Amino acid sequence: MKKPEMVFLVDDEPALLKALTRLLKAEGFAVQAFDSAKKFLAAPRYEGSGCIVLDQCMPEMSGIELQQELAQENSALALIFITGNGDIPMSVRAIKAGAVDFLIKPVNDKELLQVIRTALEKSRSMLEAKAELAELQQRHSALSTREKEVLFLVAKGLPNKQIAALLGVVEQTIKVHRGRVMSKMEVDSLAQLVLVAERLKLK
Amino acid sequence: MNWVTIIWSMTAAASLTLAGVHGSLWLRQRSQMSSLMFCIMATATAGMAGCELWAMNLTDMESYAYALQWYNLMRWLVTLALVGFIHYYLGSGRSWLEWTVCGLRTLSLLVNFVFSPFVYYTSIEELVRIRFIGAEVTVVEGIPNPLSIIGQVSLLVLAAYLVDATWRSSHREHRPGAIRVGLSAVFFVIALSLQMMFALWGFIDMPIVASLFFAGIIVVMGFELSQDMLRAAKLAEDLKTREIELRMERGLMDAMFESAPGMLYLQTRQGQMVRWNSQHERVTGYSNSETAKMNALDFCTEAERDILNQAREHAFTNGGNEVEFDMARRDGSTARHFFRMVPVKVAEEPHLVGIGIDVSSQRALATETERERERMAHIARVASVSELSSSLAHEINQPLAIILSNAQAAQRLMAHEKPDFVELREILEDIVTADIRAADVIKRLRSILRQGKPVLESVSPHSLFDQALRMAQPDLRSASIEVLRKHSKKLPIIQADKIPIEQVLLNLIKNACEAMEGNGSRAKSLSLMCINEGIWLRFSIKDNGHGLRGGEQKIFEAFHTTKPNGLGLGLTICQTIINAHGGKLWAEANKSHGATFHFQLPIVPENL
Repeated sequence: MKKPEMVFLVDDEPALLKALTRLLKAEGFAVQAFDSAKKFLAAPRYEGSGCIVLDQCMPEMSGIELQQELAQENSALALIFITGNGDIPMSVRAIKAGAVDFLIKPVNDKELLQVIRTALEKSRSMLEAKAELAELQQRHSALSTREKEVLFLVAKGLPNKQIAALLGVVEQTIKVHRGRVMSKMEVDSLAQLVLVAERLKLK
Repeated sequence: MNWVTIIWSMTAAASLTLAGVHGSLWLRQRSQMSSLMFCIMATATAGMAGCELWAMNLTDMESYAYALQWYNLMRWLVTLALVGFIHYYLGSGRSWLEWTVCGLRTLSLLVNFVFSPFVYYTSIEELVRIRFIGAEVTVVEGIPNPLSIIGQVSLLVLAAYLVDATWRSSHREHRPGAIRVGLSAVFFVIALSLQMMFALWGFIDMPIVASLFFAGIIVVMGFELSQDMLRAAKLAEDLKTREIELRMERGLMDAMFESAPGMLYLQTRQGQMVRWNSQHERVTGYSNSETAKMNALDFCTEAERDILNQAREHAFTNGGNEVEFDMARRDGSTARHFFRMVPVKVAEEPHLVGIGIDVSSQRALATETERERERMAHIARVASVSELSSSLAHEINQPLAIILSNAQAAQRLMAHEKPDFVELREILEDIVTADIRAADVIKRLRSILRQGKPVLESVSPHSLFDQALRMAQPDLRSASIEVLRKHSKKLPIIQADKIPIEQVLLNLIKNACEAMEGNGSRAKSLSLMCINEGIWLRFSIKDNGHGLRGGEQKIFEAFHTTKPNGLGLGLTICQTIINAHGGKLWAEANKSHGATFHFQLPIVPENL
């Protein structure tokens, strides 16, 4: 069963947390609220698509710090910052680090919902990309050692003859390996194979 | 020439001389009636002496009688003048005695004329020439007339009058001269009456010598009068010297009055203007004649009249006072004046003397300076608010965000087919709470701006630190500053206006962060302390930065700054906020590195 899209609220202000929860629930979102960044980090990570509406200014751990932590986890959750004041350097930093938007309190509902939808979309695509990558990695791990070597060298752009010379086999053997790699990685062309290698960061 | 002629002539001459002297004196001073009386008496005495000398040399009966009539007229005059003199000179005679003497003497004169030619005698037997002090003189021998007793009685009454007047005078006032005059008159009058009686009744052969007795009185009177004159002259001399001195004093006083650097005035107890200088006229615009009719309070504006009145009363009871008020000018304008007033006695009456100095320019300057200072303070407050606005915006935006989100959630809930009214009620309650909170923040913000009294509430020192640290967190983190909280867990709840105090803490923490920017390899460390000192709770913020640049006093001055972009107002504002709480803010340099800022807030016992 597909997991529902979640909206996580992280804000140290309980009243605002409550108000935003009401608003989002009324709009039909699944909402989970946390009154500190630490508590959010401590909770089990949600694997489905979702977004975090995050207060920048919080004691102990700020929104930006949470963003850094999540980046290391390679999370698919999209981030929306809310702040009491428009600190431009701070917002630039947050956006550069991948935040969907940086909103100033008080936030209008339409704006917030719009941004949440965008964020969820982003999360979904992030999640898809993540799933695709996982698939590719799985296919890649199914290759034999020799096939992986051939794929690596093909992705580097070496011709068959050169690869054969490097690996100490005849050119015909390389052609066979390449055919197998392409069928195992489920690609139809050399161009597609190079792209896959790139996504797998094989270069 | 014989002795009789010499003596009588000299007596007459001396009497006339004295009469002349005092007559001319009286002409110059008509009020001196004693001089006039003396003049008449002396003239009449000279006349008497003349008549006596004349009679002494006559040999026929008819001429003798004629001379005696003239002689009696003179005696009448002498007697009246003597009574008059005593009346005016001693001023103590009984008037009924005076009238009696004058009446008897006048009666005697009338009798003399009725029984002409001889009042003294019923019949004259003969005129006899006798030897008297070496000269032949004429005397009468006859039967004495009983009516002549009137003259004798009048002499006795005169003597009685003189004794009485002298006695009363000596009792009333100390005037040795007057007593001498009185006593000598008594003596001569009694001697005269004795001599007259003896001569008349034939006990002694002797011509009439009354003029000599009166001359004696005149000499004594003349002597005393001249003494009086001498004294008067001396007095006049003294007065003249005194007057010159007074004139000099007056001139000096006038010069002082006019040269004084302000208004000088002398007023009565009730405020009636007595004296003032021309400066007074210039300042008030009232002419001298107008001022003379005015009261001190008339020169004061209506609004400050009570102040001036009280100040005047105070000056009289406390021996002086100072007051400042707006002088009301004639043209309706006012001028601020400073007055010093001292109570003085002038002619035994309490007066107020003093000086008034125009201080309007100083006051205007002071007002301008004050206004400028207030303007600066206002700018400082506004600037500090903008400096601190990032954190205040959070305070205001938070409840606004809560309200907005709640309201919009409610709108969405209402759009549902079956709105959840329980939920809606909760939303409304939350909106109200948040609204109150926002209003509260704005109220306090305004209180910082307007520098109003702090709105005190019970606050935990921990929460103040927590909030300030929360707001300072981004700065602390980005600058990697180690924060040490050294206060004990158990601290009293204090009465304070939360937001301004948080701003003070935040400001001090931010200052500390900035002071540590150039620390280099020295680890940045910020210590926050809170110590219970009994009646005070002391908050301390210690850093190890560059320390106090510009001195411990200077840093609290407005617009003193060591930061490239700072306004130099933060600490001034902090100080104002702490002062408004009845506390104190100060700084001290640390022994090694950096500075420590302290502020104290009063601990109010909870049962108060």
